[in-house]
Amino acid sequence: MNERQTLMHGVGLSKRFGGILANDTVDLTVAEGDLIGLIGPNGSGKTTLINLLTGHMKPDGGEVMLRGQPTGGQPAHMYAAMGVARTFQLTQLFARMTVLENLLVPALTRPRSTWAEASRRARGYLEFLNLAHLANLDAKNLSGGQQKLLELARCLMLEPAVLFLDEPFAGVHPQLRDELIKRIQELHQAGRTFVVVDHDMESILRISQRLVVMARGRKIADGPPAEVRADQAVLAAYAGL
Amino acid sequence: MRGIHVYILIAAAILLLVSANGMNQYWMHVSIMAMVYSILTSSWSLLAGYAGLFSLGHMAFASIGGYTSALLVEWFGIPIALGMVAGIAVCCLLGAFIGWVCLRMSGPYLAIFTLGFSEIVRITFSTEDDVTGGMAGLHTKPIFEDASRLPYFYTAFVLLAVSLALMGLLVRSRWGLFLRALREDEQAAAASGVAVARFRILAFAIASGFAGLAGGFYAHYIGVLTPGIGALDYMALLVVMTVIGGMERLPTAVGGAIVVEFLLEILRGYGQWRLPLFGIILLLTMRFARNGLLTPLWIRFVRLGEGRIAAAPAVAEVQREDSRA
Repeated sequence: MNERQTLMHGVGLSKRFGGILANDTVDLTVAEGDLIGLIGPNGSGKTTLINLLTGHMKPDGGEVMLRGQPTGGQPAHMYAAMGVARTFQLTQLFARMTVLENLLVPALTRPRSTWAEASRRARGYLEFLNLAHLANLDAKNLSGGQQKLLELARCLMLEPAVLFLDEPFAGVHPQLRDELIKRIQELHQAGRTFVVVDHDMESILRISQRLVVMARGRKIADGPPAEVRADQAVLAAYAGL
Repeated sequence: MRGIHVYILIAAAILLLVSANGMNQYWMHVSIMAMVYSILTSSWSLLAGYAGLFSLGHMAFASIGGYTSALLVEWFGIPIALGMVAGIAVCCLLGAFIGWVCLRMSGPYLAIFTLGFSEIVRITFSTEDDVTGGMAGLHTKPIFEDASRLPYFYTAFVLLAVSLALMGLLVRSRWGLFLRALREDEQAAAASGVAVARFRILAFAIASGFAGLAGGFYAHYIGVLTPGIGALDYMALLVVMTVIGGMERLPTAVGGAIVVEFLLEILRGYGQWRLPLFGIILLLTMRFARNGLLTPLWIRFVRLGEGRIAAAPAVAEVQREDSRA
């Protein structure tokens, strides 16, 4: 067991939509500095788990602990204020606002933030993600890959303790996907904590230190990628073996 | 250093104020009404254009502001200014309540909900004729005993200027940025740390307060207040003015109110046929210039005097606005 401090802990999280149990008593611990790949077939409950862990849904059972404290059904913006950032499965930007304005929104929600300091930080992240030349363009005019990068930048403006990325590589050109992977790795090496959901196994295996697998709303495996890949339950979920 | 457009606007305002005395009573009345509508369109633009909350209850708040002020002045003999402030306060509180009730509504659901609210208000005012005078109208105390409309013109001008200054400060602040983020995507705004519920309620409260101000002034200017002020046809007129001008900017929303109000008077000779004409203009605006007919003109006006080099971004912005259509 490592000595890193636990950042988030989803304890026995359950969520039901009508007759479907999307999450069934799922436990997930995220420690400081983790880079977790969260995988599973379609409909296995990955996005629901992210929604529960980031305050975008309230669990029917269980609770979310942040740094040992229960979050107690706070609204989503309070999670953001506490350092929990996320992207969305289908990119959700402020389409008719400029790229720079997209980054100013999260920065200016922070206490004691100023426009000058927020703009300076925003331009820094735009440089880091090669988007600086697009700063004054409306976000809707960006390509799919650039939009994914901008969504990542918007998360970073919160200076988050943990980032949940929901399918960051979906529909992204291979060149931009490599760029995205490189940036995630750089940020991770700089101390950021990530939980990345995706179906792109190659990319997930390239970056993950720990792999969590879900199937039919339950967590069926959690451990180092090499171990998880050999797990019979995982093989059965993916290939029906 | 401010843009040249600011100096042009200040010069035009001074010219208007100085020459107002020479205006005949009829056009002065039209100008006063254009300024009342300007407060209503700009505050509705704050709600619908900036925050994306397409409420059809704005004129209901104007009527609530008007009746609150008129009745308090009549019952308690308080100064009209105090009555108008009370009207604004009631509208802010009621606006916040409506904003809270429809927190989870948007688009057509919000429009229908606020339309229902507006009808409740109108029917209440028309049914409770013991208090409000019903359809016969409520006689209100005038602000000025003077028969001239000139003091009303100056008062309307000051109210509009102060309203625009306050709303301008709001939309240029971080709150304005958050309101636009709400309009674009509430879930993403929440994920970015924006307190969605708080800002939705705030947008309703502030916009309703300005509607109450316009209603209060109208009540004490026009002399007789009827429940018709909150009717759907006035709300439709407000939407036409704001959309034709451009609902995502305060100046274009004001421009829409002024242009439509004056055109309605200039085309009065065409009787009821002028109304379908505005319907057609509205349809064409929605089809070809969704961000309003005045928006490209306003952008060019703002960029006046920036020179050729700086004109490039202006053109890009105009093109971007056009592409939004």
